[in-house]
Amino acid sequence: MINDRENSFIVEAKDLKLCYGEVTVLKDISFQVETGSCMVIMGASGCGKSTLLKCMTGLLKPAAGNVIFSNGDLWGNRDLPNEEVLSNFGVLFQAGALWSSMNLLENVSLPLQTFSQLGKDEIEQLAAYKLSLVGLSGCEYLYPPELSGGMQKRAGLARALSMDPPILFLDEPSAGLDPINSMQLDELIVELKKSLGITFVVVTHELDSIFEIADDAIFLSNVSKSLLDHGKPVEMKSSSKHAEIRGFLSRTGQGKAI
Amino acid sequence: MTLQPKSLQIIESEHSIDFLLDGDWVLNLDSNIIQQKCRNYLSAAKPSQSACKFSFSSNKSKWDSSLLVFLLDLETKLSTLGMEADFSKLPDKVQDLISFAKDRKGKKSAPLYHPSLSSKGWFFHLSSKCSQWSTFFGKWILALFRLFLGKSFMRLSDLISICRDCGAAALPIITLISFLTGLTMAFVGSVQLEKFNATIYVADLVSLAMVREMGALMVAIVMAGRTGASFAAELGSMKLREEIDSLRTFGIPAMEFLVLPRTLALFIMTPLLTLYADVVGILGGLTVGTQVMDFSSLHYFEQTQSALTNMWEVYSGLIKSLAFGLIIGLVGCYKGMFTGNNSAALGKSVTSAVVVSITLIVICDAMFEIFFSMVGYR
Repeated sequence: MINDRENSFIVEAKDLKLCYGEVTVLKDISFQVETGSCMVIMGASGCGKSTLLKCMTGLLKPAAGNVIFSNGDLWGNRDLPNEEVLSNFGVLFQAGALWSSMNLLENVSLPLQTFSQLGKDEIEQLAAYKLSLVGLSGCEYLYPPELSGGMQKRAGLARALSMDPPILFLDEPSAGLDPINSMQLDELIVELKKSLGITFVVVTHELDSIFEIADDAIFLSNVSKSLLDHGKPVEMKSSSKHAEIRGFLSRTGQGKAI
Repeated sequence: MTLQPKSLQIIESEHSIDFLLDGDWVLNLDSNIIQQKCRNYLSAAKPSQSACKFSFSSNKSKWDSSLLVFLLDLETKLSTLGMEADFSKLPDKVQDLISFAKDRKGKKSAPLYHPSLSSKGWFFHLSSKCSQWSTFFGKWILALFRLFLGKSFMRLSDLISICRDCGAAALPIITLISFLTGLTMAFVGSVQLEKFNATIYVADLVSLAMVREMGALMVAIVMAGRTGASFAAELGSMKLREEIDSLRTFGIPAMEFLVLPRTLALFIMTPLLTLYADVVGILGGLTVGTQVMDFSSLHYFEQTQSALTNMWEVYSGLIKSLAFGLIIGLVGCYKGMFTGNNSAALGKSVTSAVVVSITLIVICDAMFEIFFSMVGYR
């Protein structure tokens, strides 16, 4: 439930090694995400940010290591993720990944219809409320192809929020959004974090967003294929021992060899 | 950690009405009783100016957005009765979220009305489909002309690889289907012909039926299900992913680059597969003739040869198969190019590509037979 987080860490990546076939994408990845915080995963394109997110959301089994949530390990011995742990989080995919044959209200209602005990009217109200939170009031009966990319993304966030999960994983939430919408989305993340105590794990390389929302950040390297640094983005910008990270966060182009 | 069921107490006093919330207000708990209680209370309540104060009776209650929706909804209903909702005794976080939700709340839209088509509407719908189809076909003919003039964007490598996919790759399934068709016809025919002591005519029956009808028809049906559907799905998903639009922005017509190689590949490969299916079907008949009816292979082949003295029998099947190949290719590509803009529409396009192809194939087959009879070629 959302207003009684007690443990200090809500999710932990432990010695993760991620491979596609023979190719190793990331290795020795270990970090913890504090309850009620916003952790940003940064790095240059192709460094494995989305792959790491896939592993943490149960879509890609790690070659070694595990992802540990407060109610258990995500990956057991089997190839499939532990189903009980899956109910812990919501995921916003890069392009929204809405179900195109359903309207927005149905998209947000479906998880509620499947997993909650509420009546039909309440579910509709709740879905409309989630859509209003992301600024999509009045779009309840539109279908995903009728929306712009940014609206699809916000609808995806409303769907990820539908079950009030304690953790939300967002894959590039503000990519492709205009500055106003992007700012509103950041505001929404901060508000949800504050009021509902939701923990966010966000993959992004939008600098403005990073400084606005992140309490904590990790930086993945393309070269060593591992976690380069871990800390607060503001501190990393000024005092990281890696020049690439300082370059990345201050946009000075020193990050070519990341 | 067990959850306590939601409960709501409504206490009316002289100056205010207290709504005391207890238990856990979370999504996973049923709220029918609470809703019923609120409905009953509101239907009996008289408009008044008194304030409605909301509070939790214990500070251990858990809550999530289902509570917010409940409160916001109740607030709207109370305001229509002239009552004011006072949330100041609720936890700060609840109050924050309520004001945040109010800031963002817009007007909820009404369900869209999808009118059904009237008979006049159907006529226009049908005529627009016809014009869409004839435009597609016209553009295809033009693309063919440009190909003959050497100005086409079609790549030979595409044509060859599609020919391989829809021709050579289909050989196993065509072998199986046509062999079993020949075999089945031989069995069915032998039962009837035995009554007249004319079982050797099984060879005539199988060979004529295969080359005139069954070879072309079976190949066409397999190709419609296999290749026509794959064309519709491939082009449809290309359209959904805006790949066709991106071709267009480069000035490359999708008709020449995508549709022409696919239709031509089927136009070329269907007759070849039909010829192959004819031979395999006859071998299926031969298997029954030699293994079940004890004819010698030579005897069976001689009988087959005498049945097929006129090569027109074979050609007529091949002419049909040319038309069938064209139908499958055009229908598959048309359905793919004009698919709707969601994944459900893509599914419908693929289904409809197969259904329309097979229907047109059977109609076309019948028309060929009628035509051949009328001009005296049967």
